[in-house]
Amino acid sequence: MTSVAAPDRTGKTEAATPAKPVKQGMSRKHREWLAAALFILPDGLGLLLFVGIPMVLSVVLSLFQVSGFGTYEWVGLANYERMFQDPMFWESMRLTGIYVVVLVPVLFCVSLGLGLLMKQKLPGTSFYRTALFLPYMISLAVVGLLWKFMLDEQLGVVNKSLRGLGMEGEPWLGKPELALFTLIAIMVWVMMGYYMIIFLAGLQDIPKEYYDAARIDGAGPWAQFRSITWPLLRPTSFFVLIMSTVAALTGGLDLIFTMTKGGPANGTSLIIYYIYTQAFGFGEYGYASAMGTFLVLIMVLLAGVIFKVTKSGRFDDGQ
Amino acid sequence: MLQHGKDAGTAPPPTRRRFIGGAAGVAAAAAATPLISGCGGSAKADGKRLTFWNFYAPQQTQDPAIKAQAKWLTDLVKQWNDSHDVKIDLVFIPGADYNGGYKLPSAFAADDGPDIWLLSPGDFLRYQNGGVLQDLTPHLDKGVVEDYGDSLNSRTVDGKVYALPMEVEPLAMYFDVATWEKRGLSEGDIPTTWDQMLDVGDKLRSKTTAGLVFETNPGYYQNFTWYPWLWQGGGNVIDGDGNAAFDSKAARQALGLWQDAVAHGIAPRTMPAAGDFLSAFKTGLVGMWMNGIWNVSNFKAYAPKHKYGFFKLPIPPGGKYSTALGGWAFAANAKGNNPEQAAEFCAWALGKNDEECIDRMVEWCTVAKSDVAPRKSVLDRATEKGGYDFWALKKFKDDIAPGGRAEPRYPPVVYKAVSDAIQGTMLAGKGVNSEVERAAQSIEAFMKSYKGASLI
Amino acid sequence: MASENATALRKQRAGRGGLIALAILASVITIFPFLWMVTSSFKTRATVNDGKLIPTDFTFSNFEYIFSGSDFGRYLLNSFFVSVVITVVALFFHSMCAYALARLRFPGREKIFTMVFATLLITAPVVLIPLFMVVRELGLLNSYGGLIIPAIFNAFGIFLLRQFYLGFPRELEEAAIVDGCNHWRVYWSIVLPMSRPVLSALAIFFFLANWNAFVWPLVVTTDPDLQVIQTALAQFATQTTSNYNYILAGTMIAAIPMIAIFFTFQRQIVDSVKTSGLK
Repeated sequence: MTSVAAPDRTGKTEAATPAKPVKQGMSRKHREWLAAALFILPDGLGLLLFVGIPMVLSVVLSLFQVSGFGTYEWVGLANYERMFQDPMFWESMRLTGIYVVVLVPVLFCVSLGLGLLMKQKLPGTSFYRTALFLPYMISLAVVGLLWKFMLDEQLGVVNKSLRGLGMEGEPWLGKPELALFTLIAIMVWVMMGYYMIIFLAGLQDIPKEYYDAARIDGAGPWAQFRSITWPLLRPTSFFVLIMSTVAALTGGLDLIFTMTKGGPANGTSLIIYYIYTQAFGFGEYGYASAMGTFLVLIMVLLAGVIFKVTKSGRFDDGQ
Repeated sequence: MLQHGKDAGTAPPPTRRRFIGGAAGVAAAAAATPLISGCGGSAKADGKRLTFWNFYAPQQTQDPAIKAQAKWLTDLVKQWNDSHDVKIDLVFIPGADYNGGYKLPSAFAADDGPDIWLLSPGDFLRYQNGGVLQDLTPHLDKGVVEDYGDSLNSRTVDGKVYALPMEVEPLAMYFDVATWEKRGLSEGDIPTTWDQMLDVGDKLRSKTTAGLVFETNPGYYQNFTWYPWLWQGGGNVIDGDGNAAFDSKAARQALGLWQDAVAHGIAPRTMPAAGDFLSAFKTGLVGMWMNGIWNVSNFKAYAPKHKYGFFKLPIPPGGKYSTALGGWAFAANAKGNNPEQAAEFCAWALGKNDEECIDRMVEWCTVAKSDVAPRKSVLDRATEKGGYDFWALKKFKDDIAPGGRAEPRYPPVVYKAVSDAIQGTMLAGKGVNSEVERAAQSIEAFMKSYKGASLI
Repeated sequence: MASENATALRKQRAGRGGLIALAILASVITIFPFLWMVTSSFKTRATVNDGKLIPTDFTFSNFEYIFSGSDFGRYLLNSFFVSVVITVVALFFHSMCAYALARLRFPGREKIFTMVFATLLITAPVVLIPLFMVVRELGLLNSYGGLIIPAIFNAFGIFLLRQFYLGFPRELEEAAIVDGCNHWRVYWSIVLPMSRPVLSALAIFFFLANWNAFVWPLVVTTDPDLQVIQTALAQFATQTTSNYNYILAGTMIAAIPMIAIFFTFQRQIVDSVKTSGLK
């Protein structure tokens, strides 16, 4: 494989420079640069316009007192000061912390378990697979509604069944400490099918010969899992961890909105819901933007750590 | 690309927003300014077409009650359009997204709000302090302000009217006749005191029946339904002079009432039937439910044969009867395409002395909906025409509404302080004393720095 | 020896029986709410909340109401059109961008990727109003463009496709380049066809996400003709009451196409996820 053109040592040409007679006038390297620029352009522009600029605007908004009716007053870092002094902000962060720390590992284990189960080639697998993916297919608002009915204190199926078993029903959404875990359980119910499929794909990528060899060596299922599945599944695991953490930190708004409105007694007022109420309920866009910026910052830090660990998201190298 | 050269040739929009302060130093801010300050340039900017956002019309539906309400609004707008140069377009926003949704706030924040819209008391001050409410007073006929009387109080600032109520909606305690009879209760057992109410609720409740339902979801509506219990004991959030007055015996006993009802299992912790009043009644899930006059028309439309009743909210020892009066109002956008005409429309629809206007309001309050009319002349005319002959409406008009107070217009911080106290005591078992003190402190702190229109 | 084998086999059988039971149990937990939704959509308003699985007064009136009472067909069509366009355009753009980020060599590649990835962390409620402003300045309010264009750009797809292209055999493109193909030709006739599996898996996820989108369509349109299915469902909840029977029936109608698609293509989806690096 010989190089057609000599490497260009100057290398200063702008990647996006529009060149007329491309074929002859450019080195291979420069053509590659140009191609890359053009390939990235549509998405790059779109992301800049519809995500980048709004984010910059929102950081700018966080430095203003915004009335919600088009008036802006420069307040510097006052919104951030307010944030650090706002007990509700810290309470929301605390709840979000619990939510993430419980939801992510539980979701991880359940989906991995289901993935392993689906890999067993049991009769009716395609039916189970569809069934388990069902919840992911309807909107969170409707999921919220369905569960609200089923968790009804008086007539809900859940309490009725419990009473049938001789136990007491619970107001699943009516007690602050209980409601948060109810939401987590529902979120696991919604997301487990999706991550199950991701895990399943990762599991099917592991060569069957490894297991055969291990079995000949007399390794039981647990030993096989520890020595083969777990290490070879690492790229998948990283992906699921990152995606579910981001989803847990920023998602679930519709669910809270339909099921609890942040209650009872602020028991499900996760940070994303608190930001929502400050912005859209109270018109405090400046303050909401400050909290939103802070949240984005936290996620950037988190993602940075994960990136470091996984070498720029190139999970394949992680092994 | 962002088209900020768009209005270079035209006159600047009439309402340039203030972009105060040191944005210049921040490069990002400078880049963003054209976006924030907007370029106007909407197709409707000539002020000849106005939008009217509402949650009634235009809407295709077979539901007779909703159909009648939608028709009232479309007829109203058609009438206006037939006789005026400036035309109005109705824009329907589903009710659930209207209040507490994204739609209105994001439109107003981006200076793209409707010209005319329906405003609830809870939101009044936010919009008023935001400077988007157009003064309607000059457009009203003589004597209309007096005709409205008290129902205008919560929409008035310094003697000027900023929104015109289309209805008055009082709260009462509904009860289900069948459930009562099943427990051996009758009309004679209708409670008049808090203790009696709790007793009756205790008798009514079972594993599948809620004895007494108070709103459980946090929000403006829950506060609205709690205020009467506070007022009955002489309490207030803000007193008549505009000072914080939450820390009181009345507040403690009102919070205590809801707390006791929940703690003893008389009131549920979540709404029965996911909050659907009507199906809860039809399925026999509730004994008593504190709710509004609007359910009279709901019963009429969906369950005309269902036997129900309602009574005045019971009072504490030494207390004085009160209830809260809700209801929506027309408002005109002072930063809209044509604030003068928008205000004129509101006044034309609800604030004139001519027959047409009065009849129109009679139609809304007694035919399209079931409400108490906000103006005395309308109330009289409606009574005359038999609009209040139906027992339930008559009772609301004659027994329930008198003595009521309009829903307060507290700004978000005050609302939230009260809401946290209600939620904390009712559903998290927090101490009544500490919650009252905490709420009172945050209200006081807020009042010290508050600079907007009067809270009462 | 023989009996040892038999016990092992029996043990294994029992184990499998347990696993099947587990799979069935898990499926029941996910299906039951849907079953309940389906039967409830045949209940009347008075009984929709009665907590019974089998309707006592079976009725089709909810569906009749939905289709005669509103332009439900149109809303379904709108949702379909918007979701399809977003999915197709997004997949095309994302695969181009991801290919460049994974396979082409140019200065600043890692930085650009990091920036693209960072957009994944930006939360919707924070940028909703600025985004609304941008879309307004572009003159896209109340149009299909406003529904579609901002929803196309999402780093999630780029991220996944890049993962996929990282594991691509380099020899193929090298050979093509030596053959004199330019980068566009390499992308169009080699890379794109080879990404069909991953693209089809992503297509399902994109389509689902946009089919279920609610907040953005609500905020960006006021024209009733532009309503999508999810915002249309909201109209059955009025200011004071919610007609849950209509909402559930409407939800069922909205969910049926999704369930059908998944059930039909699930093997392909899993296979394509598997061969895609989408993991």
